[in-house]
Amino acid sequence: MAETDVALTYEAACERLEAIIARLDSGEAGLRETLELCQEGRRHVEFCAAELEAVGQGLEELRLDELVARLESGRAEAA
Amino acid sequence: MPDPTTRPAGIPGSGLTGPWPVGQYAAGLRERLRGLTRVQVFGEVWGFKGGRAKVYFELRDATGALPCSMWRRDWDALGLAALADGAQVVAAGGCDFYPGSRTSSPSFTFDVTDVRIAGEGDLLAQLERLRRTLHAEGLFAPQKELLRPALPRTIGVVCGETGKARDDVLAGLRRRGWGGRVVWAFAPVQDRHAASRITRALQDLAACPEVEVVIVARGGGSLADLFAFCDETLCRTVALLRIPVISSVGHHTDRTLLDDVAAVTASTPTHAAEAAVPVHCADAHAALRAGAVRLERQGRRAIVERARTLARLSRAPAEHVARHRARLHQQLRELRAAARRGVAERERATRGAAAALRRKGDAAALARTRGAVRARAGAAALDRGSSAALERRRRDLERLRLALAAHDPQRTLERGYALVEDAAGEPVTSAAAARAQPALTLRLHDGRLPVRPDPSAPRVP
Repeated sequence: MAETDVALTYEAACERLEAIIARLDSGEAGLRETLELCQEGRRHVEFCAAELEAVGQGLEELRLDELVARLESGRAEAA
Repeated sequence: MPDPTTRPAGIPGSGLTGPWPVGQYAAGLRERLRGLTRVQVFGEVWGFKGGRAKVYFELRDATGALPCSMWRRDWDALGLAALADGAQVVAAGGCDFYPGSRTSSPSFTFDVTDVRIAGEGDLLAQLERLRRTLHAEGLFAPQKELLRPALPRTIGVVCGETGKARDDVLAGLRRRGWGGRVVWAFAPVQDRHAASRITRALQDLAACPEVEVVIVARGGGSLADLFAFCDETLCRTVALLRIPVISSVGHHTDRTLLDDVAAVTASTPTHAAEAAVPVHCADAHAALRAGAVRLERQGRRAIVERARTLARLSRAPAEHVARHRARLHQQLRELRAAARRGVAERERATRGAAAALRRKGDAAALARTRGAVRARAGAAALDRGSSAALERRRRDLERLRLALAAHDPQRTLERGYALVEDAAGEPVTSAAAARAQPALTLRLHDGRLPVRPDPSAPRVP
């Protein structure tokens, strides 16, 4: 999954996490696969936790022109 | 009324009369409008509302509209039911103007005194035609094919700045436990500028890369009020946006064209907010924690179980040998016990057989002695019996010999009798048979004499 992390979304990470847990629960995975799945699963948990954290800071309200101004100032700083 | 003595000076350089007090001008305007020729107009009714004193509606067609009002008593006198949106009517009346006051707004109205229903209107038909056109062009599909994020960080909202929809959207987002960023793009939602302003707001929101989904929300209203959301340009714009649009416009019974092209349609702004964040954040947190725990447990278990297996395997050879040794000892013990049992059983059987053999030998000797005695007695009885039987058989034989000799024909022939035989040697016993033979033989006791019967001889009885 590491190569797809660039385009990873919350729902894709959740889906993959469920698939990993189902695979581990089945008891069919070998030791190496288990360790790799656990490692990958931890990455997805961290990603999902970060996503949830990002929308758990309290609702922020902006008007569209404020957002545009913020984006433009961000671009100017980057430049 | 403004005091004419406080009338301000006019605009320097202006050639227009005045300034006049606005109330005076408004009253003049009313008189002017009332003075216009009263006419009949026709169009489609939209937004019919009944009040206590008056009924209100709009007459519309493709090129314009008039706000209309009619005194309640005149309306009731017509005996008509409430007019449905889109109904085509002819209305008779004339222009009127309420000049307003310091505390109330002025308003223009077409004062209707009579109404005739002329049939169904065609604005709804136009709406249906546009709906079919957009559908045929496949513009209902693109939005529905867009991926909607389960947990967007930034949500754009297009709504009226002062409407209740704004609060409803916030309430829906809070209900989800969502605390991301809301970007408001306020726009009028029912005047003639509404469609273009909403379109522009949507385009601006879509141009911000942070915005992941957009809600278009408006509270309830008549379908006429919602016509802005059936605008063709708005619908075509939405259909081609890069981000999903969730539409919540009017009541659930009203279906605008925006509802058709949007990714999702919600019945209320609150539901639209919930559709924008399909995940309940607290539940998602709990599920994630549970997933993490299961993941760790599975990982730990996989290692611990394998370590146990490894330890078990390392002990296995010694245990295997010990198990086999124990089994071997057991089998040896069983073998010895079985051998002892077998010898004892055979000894018992041999003793029994020897005793039986002795018993049978004794019985045989006794039988042999008894047999010798019986044989001797039998031999004596046999000797006695055989000499008496011999004598008896000799006497019987003599008697039979004598009886046989008495019946011998030779003895009869010796007494002078002759036996007549035919050529074959068979005895001839009647005279008729003798006559029939060509030749006869007379058998006498000392030899045979051939004779020939004489057929010419007289028959002797």
